[in-house]
Parts: sequence; structure tokens; C-alpha cells
Amino acid sequence: MLAEILGRATRMPVVDAKDGERVEAEHVYVLPPGAILTIRGARLHLRRTGRSDRERAPIHVFFNALAEDQGEHAIGIVLSGGGHDGTVGIKAIKENGGLTIAQGSNVSRPRFAEMPSSAVAAGFVDLELPVEEIPGRIIAYVRNWGAFDPEKPGDALAKIYGLLRSRTGHDFSDYKERTFQRRIQRRMQVVQTTKLDEYAERLQKDPDEVHSLFRDLLIGVTDFFRDVTAFQALETLVIPKLFEGRGADDEVRVWVAGCSTGEEAYSIAILLREQAERLVAPPKVQVFATDIDEAAMGVARAARYPANLVKEVSPERLTRFFVNEAGMYQVVKELRDMCIFSTHSVIRDPPFSRLDLISCRNLLIYLKPTLQAQIIPLFHYSLRSGGYLFLGGSENLSRYGELFVTLDRKSRIFRRRDLASRPPLPLRQFLPTSRRGTAGMEESQGGLLQRSDMLRGIAATVVERFAPTYVIVDESGQTLFFSSGTGKYLQPAVGPPNRDIVAMARPGLRADLRAALHCAKETGRRFVRDRIAVQINGGTQTVSLAVEPVTEGNETVYGIVFIDRGPIRTVEETAGVAHPDSEDTTVRQIEQELQETKERLQSTIEELETANEEFRSSNEELLSVNEELQSTNEELETSKEELQSVNEELQTVNNELSIKIEELDRANADLNNLFQSTQIATIFLDRRLVIRSFTPAVSKLFNLLPGDQGRPLTDLSSRLDYPDLESDIRTVFGGEAIERALSLSEGTEHYLARLLPYRISSDIIDGVLLTFVDVTSIIAAEEQQKVLAAELSHRVKNTLAVVSSITERTLPDGGAKTDLLGRFHALGHTHDLLSNAGWTEAPLRELISTELAPYGAHITVNGPPVSLKPQAALLLALVVHELATNAPKYGSLSTPRGRVEIGWTTAGDRQRRLEFTWTERGGPKIDGLPARGFGTELIERGVRFELQGEATLGAVDGGLQCRIVIPENPQYVTFGSPPDEPVIGEAAS
Amino acid sequence: MTAELEGVRVLVVEDEFLVATLIEDMLHAAGCIVSGPIPRIGEALEAAGRGTYDAAILDVNLGGDRIDPVAKALSYRNVPFAFVTGYGTAGLPGDYAERPHLRKPFRMTDLINTISGLVHTSRPKVV
Repeated sequence: MLAEILGRATRMPVVDAKDGERVEAEHVYVLPPGAILTIRGARLHLRRTGRSDRERAPIHVFFNALAEDQGEHAIGIVLSGGGHDGTVGIKAIKENGGLTIAQGSNVSRPRFAEMPSSAVAAGFVDLELPVEEIPGRIIAYVRNWGAFDPEKPGDALAKIYGLLRSRTGHDFSDYKERTFQRRIQRRMQVVQTTKLDEYAERLQKDPDEVHSLFRDLLIGVTDFFRDVTAFQALETLVIPKLFEGRGADDEVRVWVAGCSTGEEAYSIAILLREQAERLVAPPKVQVFATDIDEAAMGVARAARYPANLVKEVSPERLTRFFVNEAGMYQVVKELRDMCIFSTHSVIRDPPFSRLDLISCRNLLIYLKPTLQAQIIPLFHYSLRSGGYLFLGGSENLSRYGELFVTLDRKSRIFRRRDLASRPPLPLRQFLPTSRRGTAGMEESQGGLLQRSDMLRGIAATVVERFAPTYVIVDESGQTLFFSSGTGKYLQPAVGPPNRDIVAMARPGLRADLRAALHCAKETGRRFVRDRIAVQINGGTQTVSLAVEPVTEGNETVYGIVFIDRGPIRTVEETAGVAHPDSEDTTVRQIEQELQETKERLQSTIEELETANEEFRSSNEELLSVNEELQSTNEELETSKEELQSVNEELQTVNNELSIKIEELDRANADLNNLFQSTQIATIFLDRRLVIRSFTPAVSKLFNLLPGDQGRPLTDLSSRLDYPDLESDIRTVFGGEAIERALSLSEGTEHYLARLLPYRISSDIIDGVLLTFVDVTSIIAAEEQQKVLAAELSHRVKNTLAVVSSITERTLPDGGAKTDLLGRFHALGHTHDLLSNAGWTEAPLRELISTELAPYGAHITVNGPPVSLKPQAALLLALVVHELATNAPKYGSLSTPRGRVEIGWTTAGDRQRRLEFTWTERGGPKIDGLPARGFGTELIERGVRFELQGEATLGAVDGGLQCRIVIPENPQYVTFGSPPDEPVIGEAAS
Repeated sequence: MTAELEGVRVLVVEDEFLVATLIEDMLHAAGCIVSGPIPRIGEALEAAGRGTYDAAILDVNLGGDRIDPVAKALSYRNVPFAFVTGYGTAGLPGDYAERPHLRKPFRMTDLINTISGLVHTSRPKVV
């Protein structure tokens, strides 16, 4: 489908890629869906994608394959497309010398900007162009191919080295020239320059170009677990050994040199971490990762990688050691804490020391052999005894057999050999003058470097010329190292190559050599044998042979030194004596001094290392103290906050209490004022009759002073004559109230004492309350009232008697006088009745019986108790009097058989009324009613007038009947006995 | 008796029957037209407000009730009145203490003279 669409846009044939097809020029091949494409030997290879493939980015795969297959001849172009596809592939192309182009955002915005942006952002794109410009640039690039002449670099190259050194501080003059030149060539093709001089000029003017060149030089392919098999070998062979015999107090130290963006360091950290977790008390692990690229260090510390870089990480490790954040994988903190990233140049800066493992992959290949020759011994120095070295795929140590043992050649894993004498330390680069130079010093620096090269060469020559010939062998006599000039004493044995020193020894030497070696092995000490005659080229050379064992760690090697004693003599001259060679002594002296200097430096470096270690551990201690202080601080903060809130609560409570206290004070003041103001003598006693408080009025009765609170009442004397006080109080404790009338001073003062229980709650009595009310005046008033009433009564009766007397003397005898005097008497009797009751009322029954007393047994009186108020009593008394005087004159009492029935009832439901009946029987029949007169008027008008009642006179069976009905009215008449008055007990006197 | 009291309308307020009838008889004898006697305060107030009188005789104490409201009502209507009292001057209503009064017991002449005085005197100012 895609092929068809594209085919319409070009004259070139556009086809779907087919497996095994050869790539032709001017042809377009399209990747069909559901397939993975690679290229090998300029042939395309197609593979259908299976479900188990994690390859979701076919372009990555193809770019990688293309980079590998075509190297510098590859051009990778990233157009628009979603995702990060191609980032890593682009990197591979650039790393292998190809050209990389990304579609840029200029006039023609790519529709899916993500793919180009990520490639550009990753710094792997040489050119960022709008799509219209891309074809032109490609054509120009290809046409200029080969215009660069690598054979005659001239001064321009030196200038470029200088520019790099001054602008970046790094010396690339020891990098492999071919690699270096290839990078420059690429940059020239990118910027379209054909002449090296022109490029050097451009570098001078354009700092950005210097930076681009620098980045190109540094470019290295890095991802996690690159070369999976190599890492597996590392995991199996090396990692466990690092932890062997190490406790929690020990430290495993690893250096990853040239770590770039950190993938290598973290990969090793993962292996170390996994191993540490298998142990009970693992040692501390520290990984030092270094590179000269500061930007890369930044990336490494951030530790966030795109998904395609963690391709080789197993799913379990991915989950355990990475956190997936929106497509980027961040290394977990515990791993990041294990690694320390720092900018460090292997060539320039002093190395780390006492390392268990050094990993340096893809660094050495960029360096010239002379630089490698410095670095390998540096690594050897840096490693502990038995330490390991892990190198990259295209690096080997075939020339450094005396320093390292090969453990796994394919995976490039080596182990440090321990030697008696340390190899010479490359001291030159640690001198301060070899650090970053300024622009003005570049020339002299270049000259100095060149001279030091020369000096080194001279030194080597001197050493070589004057040092004795030596060979180093292992325990079994296998040669490990040859110095120069061994040809005099050794020759290759006949047959297949044989490293056995004895086999290689020239005639005459063999037996002594074997014996010397054996002795040295047995005794473990140096063995010297002099005057050995060695047959050389028809002559004889007298030699001294020294075999010295050297043990470092668990390895013992033997140094065999051949010292010539005298010239080669003919057979005849063989019996000569070897004379000391003065030249030998001088050389030996120089050697010794050099050795001592080296040793002193060594110990100085070690001391520095120790000091550094101590500083580091101090720092760590301080950090942890800081942490503790932080947490203590936080606890204190929390405590402080708690205290503050408790404080606020207390303040609130305090405020409330203050208000309550104020209220209490006020209530108390009110009570006190009330007490003071009251005229009633009041005493509060508790259960034990002890005085709690009292009012001032009490002092009239008891001699109480304010200080008497707390004393029992019974202790105090009083004016009261109250012998029952104590028993009364105890009665009151039972819950009863008691009232007593008391008098003192021979009855001139009267008090009403009330004793009440003091209740705290409805059922708890806590004391007694005594009040004494001065009722003297009341009593006096009552007395006076009685006196007055008596006096009045006396007066009234007297007046009536006087009136009667005057009537008696004034009127002539006759009916009128009798009637008048009779009425006066009736009034008098009624007054008596009223007086007896204190002028309040008179009982009806007595009123009637008094009036009818003279008429004896023919009268019946029946009725319930009824009380008449004074006005009603007087009126009814007169009524009864009239009836009573009428009956004997004209009514039933005029005959012996006549009688009078008097009765009354109090009837009625809602309103009661008195129904009074006077019935005369057995008397002469009356005809008509009595004539109108005083009596009839009184009865018929008076009852209604004064009492609102009804009275009728009538005849029943010939006898007079008088009926009177009076409604109950407390003003005139009440029914029933008078209510009981409260009995006021008289105190025994 | 003088005929000057002929047709004089007199309101009598008294709660003692015998005293009331005595006053009534005396006034009748003098030719007065008697309204009442009225023994209770409620009725008395009503009568004082509605009726037409030339004079009134008021008992100071009606079974415990003071006569003051009736006196006031009559005074507003410019009806002259006199008190009848058993208490002496102390018992007279405070606002009308200067009005004529009769002490019990009294003679008929005293009563008639008092009434005469009430009727023939120029009407007192309204207070």
C-alpha cells in the first residue's frame, strides 16, 4: 500500500522489501507491516515479528544494523512519526561514522514532531533541516565524499588539538589518530568543508563547532547490559568473588571509567546489589563512575532513560530497580545512592585506589597504544590484590600478561596479578602543570608534551641499555615476561612453541637454571649461582644467575636475572674472573633512588587516601548526626505544638473558671448582703449542731460574736427559754419542720421559732436552719384587739341597757313598751352571742334556742350547723323574735297542745342555700296572715333587702308557716362548723 | 312638716334595713319621692348614673364597700348629697369630706333640714 502511494511520487522504483534482496542504487525499499528489517553485506533481511518480540521500533533495529553494516556510508534520516523510534538507532549510525539528519521545524512543520524532536534532543543529529532542503544536502555530502585527504594532516591537525585542549581542557593528541581523523572528517562533511585548514579556521571562529566536534569525539554507544553474555560472565565469575569473605564493616569498591551517561555503571550496580541481597551481612558497596563529559554526568545522575535503552534489562530487574514515569525509566534511589558520578579524566587525574573491580569498556579503543600503555598499569595499580578488570569488546591485554591473568577472554574479564615490584607509575600527568592550560600556553604546552615524550623514550632506552636481562616465570617455570636482550641466554626450543624457561635455556645454563629454580622454590629465598658458562655462538659467556621468589597475595612468581661477568671469551679464555662492571653500579644506584622515590610517593598517596577516607566517614557521621538532630527537632516541634494547644486549652479553662469565680463571688456577696439586711434572726447549723453562719439579728437572742462560727449552738447561752431546743433540732433532722411560740422577759417579748431541715438535695439533710421571728408586736396587737373587742362589747351592751332603761322610764306601760323592750332584749342576746365569738359570727341554732328559751318543750329545733355574720345574725334574731312573740299571742303557742317546729336545711348543688321553716301546729286556725307591722315588714322586706333571700308567710293546716331561703354568701351566712384554726402550741412556762 | 320638700326626689343608699326604712318613712312624711333604698353598691352606682334626683342620702359604708364611687358619680351629675355615718368624721370619703353629713342615730328634723339645705342651696361647683 505504502509502496504504491510512494511510487506515484517518484520515477525511482518503489518496492516492498524482500528477504535476501540486494540493495540497488536509485531504488526505494519499503518495510512491509508485521516485519523486522535488517541489512547485512548490503543485502536486506526480513523477519516476521512474533508475539514474543519486544521490538516495537523496527526503525531502531534497522538503523543499528545499517550502522554496523555500512559504517561511514550510512545516512539516517528521521522524518515525522510518533514516539521515540529511532533515537538509539540514530546514535548507532553517528557512532559508526555515518550522517544523521532530522526533519526540522521551519516552514514545513512535521506532522508528528515527536520523533525528530527526540532524536535532536538526544544530541545525535548532525543536521536539522526542513524537509525540502534535505535532498540537496545529501547530494552535496555524497559529492564531497573523499575530498578529505587523511594522509597529510600537517599543522592543521596540531592546531585542532590545541583548540580542543584550550576550549575543552582535554588533550586528544593521544587518541587513536584514525578515530580522531574520522570524526573530523565527518564534521567537515556535515559543515561542507573540504580542506582541513578551512575546518581548523572554522573551529577557531565558531565555538559551537568546537562543541559539536567535542561531542562527536566523545560519542560512545551505551545501554544497559550491553553485551549480555559478557555481563552474565561478570555476574557468574566476578561478582560473587567480590563479596567473598567480606563482612558488614568492609567495602566493595568499583570504578567504572568512561561511564558516559551511566548505563554501564547502573548495570554493574544492579549485579552488585543483587549479590549483596543474597548475603546476611553484606559489605557496603561503592561504585565510582567517571567520564570527562560533564553533560553526560548530569544525565547519569538524573538516571532517567528512554524505554529503548533498557531493552536488555530483564522484566524482574526492570520492576525491582526502575520506576516507570511516563515512558521514561528512572533508576531507584537505592541504586543511585550506590553510585558516585564525577568528572574525571583517566589520563589526567589521579586514579582511585584499592578497587575490587574496574570496568572500562569502549574507552581504550580510542586511545593510542602509548596511552593505553599508561592506563593499563594505572588500572593495575588501582586494583587491590586479586582485583578484576572488565573491558569492552574490542579491547584486550595481550601485551600485559605480566599484569593481568585472563579469566574469560571472550567476555574480556581479567584478574590482577600481584608482583613483587610495582610497575612504574606514570607520574607525568599528575603534575599540576599538565592541568587545564590557558590560550597563551598552548604552544609551550604542546612543545612540553612533545619533549616529555622524547624524554620518556630516552629513559626507556637508558633503562633498557643498562638494566640486566631478566625473565619472569611462574612456579612451574612458564615464562611470563621477557626483558630485552634475552636472546643471549635463551633460544626457542625445537618443536611447537614452548614457554618453559628451562627448555629455552641455552646449553650450559639449563642445569644450573633448573637447580636454581628448584632451590628458590624450596627455600622461598633468593638463590644465586655464579660462574656459569653459557655457550653462545661458539664462545663462552660467564654469567651470574639469580633467582628471586616474589609473593604478592596468593601468587608467587620468580625473577631470573642474568648478569654478564666479563666479555665473551673463547673457550681458552673461559677461566677468566668476572670483574665488577662500574656501569652496573651506577645504573643500580639510579634504580635504587628511583625506587625509593616511587615508594615515598606511594606512601604519600596512601596517606592522602586514608585522610580522604577519614573525611568521608566523618562526613557521613555528621550527616547521620544531622539526620538525628532533624528528627529530634521535628519531635520538639511537635511537642511544642502540643504544648501550645494544651496551653490554649488551659487558658480557655482558666477564663471559664475566672467567670465562674466572679459569679460565685457575686452570689456570695448577695447572700451576705441579704443576711445583713434581714431582720429575722437566722442560724445555720450543721449536723453536729455547730454554727455555720448567722444573721446579725441573732445577737438579740443569743450572745453570738462573728468568731463563734464553728462552735456548737448548745455551748452558747441565750435569752430564750427553750429547753426543748436540742430535742426539737434532732426531730428536724428527721425531715420535719417545727414551729414554736416562745416568750421571754416575763412575756414582754414574743418570738415564733421555726426549725427547718437544711437540704442539699431532695433527700440529703446536712444541717438545720433556725429562724426566730419577733412577733411581739403581733401578739401585742392581738392582745389589744381582744381588749378592744371586749371593751366594745361592754360598751354596746351598756348602751343597749341604757336605751332599755330610758324606754322603761319614758313610755307608759303597755303593749308598745313591752314590744320595744322585748326587741331590745333580743338585740342584746344576739350581741352576747356575737361577742363570745369575737364579733365574727353567731351559730344559728344558739340564736334560735336563746330566743325561744322562755317557751319550753313545745319547740323542736332541727338543722345542721350554720353560722351567721353579725348583720345577718341581728336581722334573723329580730325575725325569730317577732315569730316567737307572735306565736303565744295569736299562734300555736297560745294553746297547751300547740307546738312549733323549727327546721332548716342546707341544700342545693351548685349554690347551696339555707332553707329555714317555722311551722306552727296544733294551734287555733288562723284566718289570714298577721297584720302588717314591724314583724311582717321585717320578714318580708328585710330578708330580701339585707340577705338577698326570700321570706314568705303563709298558713299551712291552719297554722302559721314562715319560710325563709337565703343563698349561701360568705358575707352573711356560712354553712358547716367554723374551720379549725391552727393550733399554736404554748410553750410550757 | 314643711311643704318645701314636697316632690323632692331623693335617692337613698343604705344597707341596714331598719335604718333604711326609717329614712324612707321620714322622707315620705316630708313629701319626698324616694328612690331606693338601695343596699348594695352595684345597684347604687347604676341608680346614681341613670336616675334624676334632687338630692341623695348616702350611707358611708355599704356592708364593707366604701360609698366613694357613688358620691363621685352624683357629684359629676351635680346631684347634691349628704352622708350618713356611724363612724364620725373619720369615716367620710376623703374627696367629699366637706359635704354635709348626719350621725347615726339622727332625728327626723335633722334629716329634713339637711335635705332642705341640699335642695335650696345653689348648686355646688363641679369638682
